[in-house]
Amino acid sequence: MGPLIELRKVGKSYAMPAGALPALQEIDLEIGRGEFAAIVGKSGSGKSTLLNLIGGIDRPSQGEIRVAGVSVHDASENALARWRGKSVGVVFQFFQLLPTLTTVENVMLPMDFCDARPPRERRPHALELLDLVGIAEQADKLPSALSGGQQQRAAIARALANDPLVVLADEPTGNLDSVTARSVLDLFRKLTGRGTTVVIATHERDISGLIDRSVELNDGRVVSQ
Amino acid sequence: MTLTTPWRKAFRDFCQEGVRTVLVVLAIALGIAGFATVLSAYAILTRELNDGYLATNPASATLWTDRVDDELLGALLAKGGVVEAEARRVVSGRIKARPGDWRPLQLFVVKDYAKIRVSKLVPQQGAWPPAPGELLIERDAFQVAHVRIRDAVTVKIAEGEERTLRVSGSVHDVGQAQARMEQIVYGYIGVETLALLGEEPSLDQLKLVVAGDRFDETHVRSVAADVKLWVESRGHPVRHMEVPSPGKHPHADIMGVLLLAQAGFGLFAVALSGILVVNLLTALMASQLRQIGVMKAIGGTGAQIAYIYLGQALLLGVAATAVAVPAGILGARAMCLAMAVFLNFDITSFAVPAWVYLLEGAVGLVVPLLAAAHPVWRGSSVSVREALADVGVAQNVFGTTAFDRALAGLGGVPRPLLLALRNSFRRRARMALTLVTLAAGGLFFMSALNIRGSMIYTLDRMFGAMKFDVIATFAAPVPIEKMERAARSTPGVTAQEGWITTEASIARPGEELEAVEAGAPEAPAGGPHGAGGHPANRFTVVALPAATAFQGLQIEEGRGLRKDDTNAIVINTRLAAKEPGLKVGSELSLRMGHRPMSFRIVGKTREPFAPATAYIPRAHLDQLGGGMLAGMTNSVRLAIEKDRQDPDSMTGLKAKLEESLLQEGLRASSIASKGERRVGFDEHMRMIYVFLVVVSCILGGVGGLGLMTTMSLNVLERRREVGVLRAIGASPSAVSLIVLTEAGLIVVLSWALSALVAWPVSKGLGDLLMTGMFGTGLDFVFEPRGPLVWLGVCLLLAALAGALPAWRAARLSVREALAHE
Repeated sequence: MGPLIELRKVGKSYAMPAGALPALQEIDLEIGRGEFAAIVGKSGSGKSTLLNLIGGIDRPSQGEIRVAGVSVHDASENALARWRGKSVGVVFQFFQLLPTLTTVENVMLPMDFCDARPPRERRPHALELLDLVGIAEQADKLPSALSGGQQQRAAIARALANDPLVVLADEPTGNLDSVTARSVLDLFRKLTGRGTTVVIATHERDISGLIDRSVELNDGRVVSQ
Repeated sequence: MTLTTPWRKAFRDFCQEGVRTVLVVLAIALGIAGFATVLSAYAILTRELNDGYLATNPASATLWTDRVDDELLGALLAKGGVVEAEARRVVSGRIKARPGDWRPLQLFVVKDYAKIRVSKLVPQQGAWPPAPGELLIERDAFQVAHVRIRDAVTVKIAEGEERTLRVSGSVHDVGQAQARMEQIVYGYIGVETLALLGEEPSLDQLKLVVAGDRFDETHVRSVAADVKLWVESRGHPVRHMEVPSPGKHPHADIMGVLLLAQAGFGLFAVALSGILVVNLLTALMASQLRQIGVMKAIGGTGAQIAYIYLGQALLLGVAATAVAVPAGILGARAMCLAMAVFLNFDITSFAVPAWVYLLEGAVGLVVPLLAAAHPVWRGSSVSVREALADVGVAQNVFGTTAFDRALAGLGGVPRPLLLALRNSFRRRARMALTLVTLAAGGLFFMSALNIRGSMIYTLDRMFGAMKFDVIATFAAPVPIEKMERAARSTPGVTAQEGWITTEASIARPGEELEAVEAGAPEAPAGGPHGAGGHPANRFTVVALPAATAFQGLQIEEGRGLRKDDTNAIVINTRLAAKEPGLKVGSELSLRMGHRPMSFRIVGKTREPFAPATAYIPRAHLDQLGGGMLAGMTNSVRLAIEKDRQDPDSMTGLKAKLEESLLQEGLRASSIASKGERRVGFDEHMRMIYVFLVVVSCILGGVGGLGLMTTMSLNVLERRREVGVLRAIGASPSAVSLIVLTEAGLIVVLSWALSALVAWPVSKGLGDLLMTGMFGTGLDFVFEPRGPLVWLGVCLLLAALAGALPAWRAARLSVREALAHE
């Protein structure tokens, strides 16, 4: 069985007034099923860009990206959205829960978008996920009533809503205290045990005990993996 | 039913927007309520007007002959083709309730009130039917006559003696225009009373209802033509025949035009309120761009996200419609009651047909959706990366355009003012849309004042061209010499002229002769449609003395009458509009008396709102009449001393003139001041003016709510900047002042925009309305108070619209403001 995530000669540059600014260059990368990979590097090294390319949030300027056999680099926006909803779970640094939806509704939203389950099963499934991340009792609260760690757990539950193959998390602990950050990383570790591939972008280096592998970026290039 | 999560988000976002949502809902509701009012009123009025009119069993046709008696009626009914036939008569005269206070009177004579089957009357109060020596008065005419039931009134018709009649009751005559508007008293008497008034007790109108399809005009005309031939074959010459539009109230068309025009403005208000939806949704999409990015990141497609925000627009529409429809029903009731008074009919049911609700609902739901379509499409089609980075529609960097740089280059003004000025232009699309809504309100407000001013000015000019103060008319020509003696013996009369006014119709090849007696009296005073006016194909002809000092014609084309003119004729604008074939320089054949007379049109005179009229040289008419009219007059114009123009002096003068004429053996059929003639015109104009003011209030309201929404959004989006301002030392009052100044700048710009285009737009709008209703444009004047008053209204709106956002901005703590994302 081949890798779940496969990048070939991927490059990304942004048009700026002063000319094209390369963010990523010549990236070749493979990540297997159930792996917990961390993309590390300094600020501006291209970590978020790489994560965005894998999740189909951004498009490469060159190269090919395949995730679970899907050519992410040439799919349409709407096709990508549907694919992402079903196959990829996204976790953001600032949690990005929708403020007017309760915690459980935030988790149900991807199911509604992707019509992944029968409507009557959505809430029980969302509650299961909230239980999995340890905040089931916060289900009917609005995000504003949750602590940072609880919001990030809710965001992870939302990322798992449609049982994705991959969870992509951009600086998931960047806005959390160290204890909470550790519990979130433990949670990711737990997910890989269920066969989910987790890729996180982080500038924290002290996570080697938790992850399976580390991909280090510097100035848009992979310097070690 | 459980709502899906996207719908829950739509609903909660809708509620979370709070004050802004309320403002936008109110604005849309205001527009829809205006539209719903007019649409419901249209549905109710057209139904009730025509139903009420049909309930009177209106005549399919009316023929004027010499005498209609029971034998003729019986024979006609026996002949077939006609299911109902009745005899009537209408005579003109005057009624006096107080000394010297004569009013124009139209007396309708009915033989047997118990057996009225055609053009039925509805008794209202008092005795029914009127006994000999009594008269009924149309319910709306009591205010014109200044009388009450059981009062004794003096009535005089044509050459008859003054007689005292008792007002026995009131009656409703659906087919008559509002008496107050026309300034005519409608009275109803029996044949015996007619004899008491000195008239021959005979009836000359034959009113009939055709058998078969009475709503088929061709059929009605065919039957009426047969009846005409039949009546003539029995030795009764038919002077004239009228076939009104079958089953349609005489004023149904004008009412329809007026209501449709109002519905048009209502729709315009709805469209303007849609601009607020654009502003709100644009701001909402911008503020939620990151949320859109998140939703896309977790699997939401552009369409799914668009549905959420369109759902919010739909909720705005639902809320606005829910508010507007009941308000529209109430508005429609008020409007129907006002229109019912104006058109003189009763409303038996205010039920609104289902199609009206469906249309109102459709407009209420579709307009917000249409308005939201562009911002929603724009916001939901932003790529997920841009949305997450929040650099798409959310940010609009100030300083990137030449205009920004020009603003930035402004110097010499206090920095807070500069800040407010530059802030105003940061959201240019929002600014432009806000300006448009506010300017539309201002434009209509100024237009209302301009059109009112122009209407008054137009009437001033029209009446100013009449250099006389009092008109005395006679049923038949009287010697000028006697009239002059009477005038000289009346204190206050400074000059007089004896004119001949008559009626004519255009002689068209192949048409039968319609006899109009030369020297027949002119129609009584009335408003622009003049209930006492002419049948459709006839118009007034005025024979002017060669050196008249009393008529200053406003020549629009060609020339006026000259002393040496013979067959020259000057037509007025109304006649030209009615008969588009009449051109200056062309020949015109008129039927006056029993033979056609040939004229050459030498000029066209502007007489807005006046009935169709033509002017000819008096000498030529005398010549055509074989000298019979020489030295005679049936219409006398008198000039009065300036200090006797007040109503009381005028009443006294008219009474004295009446007395002087009687001493000379002359009986005037009417004596009216120019002011009294003008009242009817003023009443009609008031209706149009009120309509424009109501429209401008609705549009101004929508504009004001739009400004409030804009200011609220502007402050919301700049909370972080407010924090910075406060952090660097701005006091709460300084922050408030910046916000209020920004609101002030927006209103001043909108004011300037509306003031700039108010002239051409008001002129165009005024001409459009007047041409649609009266076939002529306005003499335009710009009302300078309009811009001044609107500026005051604008500044008040700015204070109101800016107050709440300014207060909110001022009470934001620095920490809160800086924490705002």
